[in-house]
Amino acid sequence: MAPSRRLKRVVASQPGFLSLKSSDLTGEVSSRRKRVNKNKKKNWNKHSDINDVEDFLEDIRHQERTTGGLLADKSDDNLFFLDVGQQPKDHKASEQVQGKKRKGKSQRPLRIDLILQHDSLVPPIKDVLSYQQPNAKKLRGHAKRLEQLAAKGVVPRTQRMLLNRQTLNTTAKKAATEANNNPKRDYYDIWGQESKSSADPWYLQQTGKKLVKRPEELNKKPSVLPAVEVIAPGGSYNPDFFSHQALLQEAHDVEVKKRKAESKIERQLAVNKEDRATEETIFQEQVEGLVEEEEEKEVAAVEEEEQVAPVEEEEQVAPVKEEEQECVGGAITLAEKKTEKQRKREKAEKIKEQLRVAEKNQKSKQQQLFQLRSIKTAIKKREKKTAARQKQRKAKMEAQKAQPRRLGKLKFQPEDLEIKLSDELTSTLRQLKPEGSILKDRFKSLQKRNLIEPRERAKFKRRYKLKYVEKRAFRAIT
Amino acid sequence: MGGLQKKKYESGSATNYITRNRARKKLQLSLPDFRRLCILKGIYPHEPKHKKKVNKGSTAPRTFYLLKDIRFLLHEPIVGKFREYKIFVRKLKKAYAKTEHTAVERLKENKPTYKLDHIVKERYPTFIDALRDIEDALCMCFLFSTFARTGKCHVQTIQLCRRLTVEWMNFAITSRALRKVFISIKGIYYQVEVMGQLITWLVPYQFSHDHPTDVDYRVMATFTEFYTTLLGFINFRLYNSLNLVYPPKLDSKAEQALKDNNEEDYALDAESYLEKLSAFSASLTRVVSAAEEEAQMDHFPVDEEDMEKLEEREKEQKQQEAQKKMFEGLKFFLNREVPRESLAFVIRCFGGEVSWDRSVCIGSTYDETDETITHHIVDRPSVGTQYINRYYIQPQWVYDCVNAKIVLPVEDYFMGVTLPPHLSPFVEEKEGDYVPPEKLKIMALQRGEKPAQQNDEEEESEEEEEGDDEDDDEAEEEEDKVQEKKLKKMEAQRSQPKVRVTPGVMKVDNPAQREQQEKAEEKRLAIMMMKKKDKYLYDKIMFGKKRKVRETNKLAAKRKAHDDNEKAMKKKARK
Repeated sequence: MAPSRRLKRVVASQPGFLSLKSSDLTGEVSSRRKRVNKNKKKNWNKHSDINDVEDFLEDIRHQERTTGGLLADKSDDNLFFLDVGQQPKDHKASEQVQGKKRKGKSQRPLRIDLILQHDSLVPPIKDVLSYQQPNAKKLRGHAKRLEQLAAKGVVPRTQRMLLNRQTLNTTAKKAATEANNNPKRDYYDIWGQESKSSADPWYLQQTGKKLVKRPEELNKKPSVLPAVEVIAPGGSYNPDFFSHQALLQEAHDVEVKKRKAESKIERQLAVNKEDRATEETIFQEQVEGLVEEEEEKEVAAVEEEEQVAPVEEEEQVAPVKEEEQECVGGAITLAEKKTEKQRKREKAEKIKEQLRVAEKNQKSKQQQLFQLRSIKTAIKKREKKTAARQKQRKAKMEAQKAQPRRLGKLKFQPEDLEIKLSDELTSTLRQLKPEGSILKDRFKSLQKRNLIEPRERAKFKRRYKLKYVEKRAFRAIT
Repeated sequence: MGGLQKKKYESGSATNYITRNRARKKLQLSLPDFRRLCILKGIYPHEPKHKKKVNKGSTAPRTFYLLKDIRFLLHEPIVGKFREYKIFVRKLKKAYAKTEHTAVERLKENKPTYKLDHIVKERYPTFIDALRDIEDALCMCFLFSTFARTGKCHVQTIQLCRRLTVEWMNFAITSRALRKVFISIKGIYYQVEVMGQLITWLVPYQFSHDHPTDVDYRVMATFTEFYTTLLGFINFRLYNSLNLVYPPKLDSKAEQALKDNNEEDYALDAESYLEKLSAFSASLTRVVSAAEEEAQMDHFPVDEEDMEKLEEREKEQKQQEAQKKMFEGLKFFLNREVPRESLAFVIRCFGGEVSWDRSVCIGSTYDETDETITHHIVDRPSVGTQYINRYYIQPQWVYDCVNAKIVLPVEDYFMGVTLPPHLSPFVEEKEGDYVPPEKLKIMALQRGEKPAQQNDEEEESEEEEEGDDEDDDEAEEEEDKVQEKKLKKMEAQRSQPKVRVTPGVMKVDNPAQREQQEKAEEKRLAIMMMKKKDKYLYDKIMFGKKRKVRETNKLAAKRKAHDDNEKAMKKKARK
């Protein structure tokens, strides 16, 4: 406020303030005086010359911009200095300055920053509106009232409501919703404390809150294999020669077995050489049906010659066939009724047969009395056999405990043995290149111990067929 | 024959088993959820004895579970949580699709989670049960802790695994539990003894991961989820048993020492404590800071027979105590190319002091220039500046010392020297088995014999070989002389009369020898008196033994030939 007011004052004190009849104006205009009505403000604005005022104001503004005020107001000390000539120390000082400059070269601001700097000494105008608050008066009054109430000790309603609200146990909630793999989770002595269930066990059981006892059977491990199988001594990074060779041999054996199985399948799938088409067979196939008649004729001729002799035989065979056919036809008709005599005879025969068998059995049993020793040996033999079998079965079962079971579609496929060939062995730990993947090893171990079933990765199945369309732009080129 | 006709597959094994799909439907879970549940609860598929019966006449390969197990699963509270989670995902998807951000926030805040604590308690009713089954957990956690944080699994899981493994290793250090280490081409096997249980686990080498594609990560992550819970509780219990604070805290003294002014260069504030713990260079705080009490063995009045055993046991105990303090007083420095974590763990497990270069890892306690360093572990052919008062050795020395249970002589392990083979400590030779000579050497050292002789012998033998050519002529001359002597004797005999009297030799009665002879005689008689059947068995056993001996001899001879060959090659190379 102050500078502008002062400016007005200064301006007022200057002579020739707003001279309407300036000489410049008249000079420029032709000798013919232009007539202008001066009773209208519009014309004042239009035809009065204000250049001198503008210049003057511009000058003042310039002064203010560059020096921060009017030069006329400044004291002499600010405007002038006493020239005493060059000082003797100046050289040294300048050197120092130079040295400093060199040092501080990097700290000098960039030219672009200097250009962009605000170089006017007149401070920027404040935006009054930004300091204003809508409803300031009302709010001020409200705040005052609140203060007064607070001084009296009255809690406002909103505050009261907040306070009256039930406090949530945030920590408990957080613990409940805390993820299982939170790296900062805490542990406690799970085996030390007994479960403290104060509620009625019957109630807990009925409401499904009581944990069901785990059956003992479930704590049995499905395999006797250890969780971590240590690699053979040949798998050391710097192995003993023989153990290394032994391991290599083992790996070799596995590989040979695999190859054998592969080659077996290949052999089975191979095409038989005799089945392969030769030129001859191809030719025969091509002429099939063309040469047939001649050949058949020849064949027929040969057959006729042969048939001369066995004609009689055939004639004999033919009637037999006819008879059979008749018989077959007759079997469909019901069997004729048996006579009483026949029935009696059959019955008697049956009884006789039964008696015979019974007698035979009786006799053989009596005979067995004399065969006691041989029977005994037979029994012993049999018992021995069963015992041996039992033993074998037991051994087999025992061995199977360590074997991976067939738990699903796929069979367990053991991992390839990790080996390093003799020329891959390094002399130092630094150069060692690890073999195999432990993740895979662990996964296979879980499968081997029957904890999970062997599985193949699910294949990606596309629901709809892909459709290829040539892009328009591309099509335009081709 | 009254009664109804029995229908097929309505009793017996057909009703005892249930196929996976039916089980899944019974539990109303999706297949991945079902799989997860089975892993968490420790319910595994079964192979029925008669598959066709169980499968109701079909021979299609299926996965079967015991019906009782599935019925047991029905009671599990987690099943409900799984269903809730399914709903949660559905709701979340919907909210996302409608871009209802507040709803998304709210849903995420109330994400259903579950705890596995009760399952741990249920599966392992006592602490020792859990400890017996810890190997899998350790392997899995160590494996996951080395994963890169690239989204193959949750970063949080990796962090948790790292934390648990560091805790476990710190426990092993404090309790001095490490027994065996084996550096294999796969990874490093460690064996510790905790509460009388031998626990083995496998640690992968750092930065050695290629992620195999044929491994089901979801299954592995589920196992890890359970095992992290288990391992955490076990760690807590173990720390309690040693009067250590859980979660582990560094000793205040040590913490002061470790405080570095440019700490934040290593890790974020949030992670720096774990990093410091994983440096293993400082001890942990105890609940009761009393002086360590040496556990005294109880003495009971015993019979004389047991006395010997007791003494033996005492001796063993003493030996073990000495073994635990193997590296005490030694000061190690690790060069930057050696595996820091493994070596620091092993050395600290036996009481050694260890440090490394400041830029390698947080927690280094002294510099390379420290004059009191006794062993400098190097894995490169040469080092720039060498200090006179320390050994420059290769890392294998540390591991071999652990396996040999004594501080081995350092000569074989000097920088740039061809190392002796690293033998597996997990192989236990029975009597009559082939034992590699390196192991024999170590066994001799354990017995307290001097190792220097063997070296000398070897050198001598080398010298002998060199001198062999010169000796040959002399030997021939000697042979001639001997023959001449023989001839002279024969001639003398001929000239003498045939009957003569010679002075008798007094028979020395050696009681020990006689006893031995008698014993041998008795044995022979006993063998003669054997039944035919027993004799057959006895012969078989003896034959087996002999065969074994023969085989070992063969291997030993082979080894000798190999060694000789190598030596010759070396000599050639030297020339």
